[in-house]
Amino acid sequence: MTTVKGHIDYDALVLEDRVHGSIYTDPNIFEDEMDKIFHNWWLYVGHESEIPKSGDYRLTWIGRQSVIMSRDEDGNVQLFMNRCRHRANAVCQDEKGNANFFRCWFHGWTYSNKGDLIGVPYAGRYDDSFKKEDMGLTKVPRVGTYRGFIFGSLSATGISLDDHLGHSKATIDAFIEASPKGQVVVRAGVHKGTYKGNWKFVGMDGYHPAFAHKAVNDLMQRKETGFEAKDRDTLVPSRSLEEAFGEHSLNKAWDLGGGHVRLDIWPMKRQVMDGVLERLTSTEAGRSYLESMEQAYGKEMAREHIATQDPHVGIWPNLQLIGVQIRVIRPLSVDETEVFMYPTALEDVPEEINEVRLREHEWFYGPASFGSPDDYEMFERNQMGLSAQVNPWLLVSRGLGREDKHPNGTISGSVTDETPQRGQFIHWKKVMSGG
Amino acid sequence: MAVERGEIENFLYHEARLMDEHAYADWLALFTDDARYWVPSNDDDADPSTHVAIIYDDRNRMGERVFRLSGTIAHSQEPRSRTSRMISNVEIGDEENGEVTVYANFNLTQLRRGRQETFAGRTVHKLRQENGSFKIALRKVLLVNNDEPINNLSFLV
Repeated sequence: MTTVKGHIDYDALVLEDRVHGSIYTDPNIFEDEMDKIFHNWWLYVGHESEIPKSGDYRLTWIGRQSVIMSRDEDGNVQLFMNRCRHRANAVCQDEKGNANFFRCWFHGWTYSNKGDLIGVPYAGRYDDSFKKEDMGLTKVPRVGTYRGFIFGSLSATGISLDDHLGHSKATIDAFIEASPKGQVVVRAGVHKGTYKGNWKFVGMDGYHPAFAHKAVNDLMQRKETGFEAKDRDTLVPSRSLEEAFGEHSLNKAWDLGGGHVRLDIWPMKRQVMDGVLERLTSTEAGRSYLESMEQAYGKEMAREHIATQDPHVGIWPNLQLIGVQIRVIRPLSVDETEVFMYPTALEDVPEEINEVRLREHEWFYGPASFGSPDDYEMFERNQMGLSAQVNPWLLVSRGLGREDKHPNGTISGSVTDETPQRGQFIHWKKVMSGG
Repeated sequence: MAVERGEIENFLYHEARLMDEHAYADWLALFTDDARYWVPSNDDDADPSTHVAIIYDDRNRMGERVFRLSGTIAHSQEPRSRTSRMISNVEIGDEENGEVTVYANFNLTQLRRGRQETFAGRTVHKLRQENGSFKIALRKVLLVNNDEPINNLSFLV
């Protein structure tokens, strides 16, 4: 169902090498995105480790719709709309908890944690047409999980979760296989961020680090060589930043199809593994971790899994796995977006390893970190720039015509290419055009 | 260790002024070598060994924070925030091992890019007496909004 009056020609807005600014500024397009993407497609909702025990629940969103994610008494994951079947009160008011039932405090209607309506006060004033068994909390039409990641779709029909995830599945595997048990645990809280800009700016840009993150570059330079420029404006790219995101980096950028894209930082990560393992094995906790990884995967694959633990992937439309975090993007309006970052712990590793993950995450990510605020500043400056509409086009041609197209349909370019942006827009256009 | 309320309050006002004036190096110099600067995320009582924090800096990371704000370009402080903070409700707590714990409330107004925002909360300081003044061993900030989306906490809070 579309709420947009009139037809929007998305083919005219997304070309091979450029996109029209209105996709970031037009409220009608935003409403159309809500209908066709956020209230229709497969959205990441939460992680199984957030609701480990029967009765556990967490309040979350699918698009703009409030959803209860819970573990019922049979151990199954349930996704319900957070809305009483009586007169639409938001039944669940706590962000998370454990409950055998949900009580709507407006008129006292009570639901089990399987969503069944089990209690209606003063029920005698309803006639025989009222059947409690038909009045349970409305379920999210489709629920799917992949290795602990829970997805929901507000559409009863459409491609399967497996088909949707496609080539992004291997990136989820890489993220969790840094644990000898092959699992992450979401238990460390969340960094809640927000910026005044469109949701489609977030992440998957391998060109911006030296510039948008000059502060990070200069901190790394200072750490690596002790150098501090006399003049703040001077940019001397640090060795590790150049190696990861420089013009001649071995790293790559990918379009995985289906709107999924990533920055492939694994080539450089593999190159520095000797040093990483040396540092790791200099502590008791690190030695213990490496030993359990080798026991689980063998020596070679243990090294590979540690090297590839950061997939730096955008799983369309609202999930990103970067560093140690599960990042969830929630559009609030055409020019306002919420970004939640959940740092994950690895299952069955020494506590010190997980503590280091937190401190490393805090360095770059979060509202007072050395990285994220500068990203949000760039996004807000972008939204400002988009208000100047005499020439409405954004150039996304970097790397075009020079990429590698692979037999499985994926495309790779150099890490600073706009392969990810094009990959996202191609899929976006397909979905928005009703294809 | 005999502490006078007036001395403590003057010290807190002094720290607040340095933060408002963006006098980063002078502010950093108020801290001990083993200092901790801690702003919990989501829950005032979160344990930082297992729960992420908004800020959980040791003295070294505080030095990096100050460098980011003064020795390079952090775009989220270009232009800089204009801030004015009030300190109040000062309560002097226990003294242990030459450290006195001080509680206070703060309310700060921040203006940046035409947006004016309030941040408020409670601070916990652990102060050590040194050369007739104090050094800060712990600055813990319990933001009222530590479980709400925050856009930009790059300025000193």
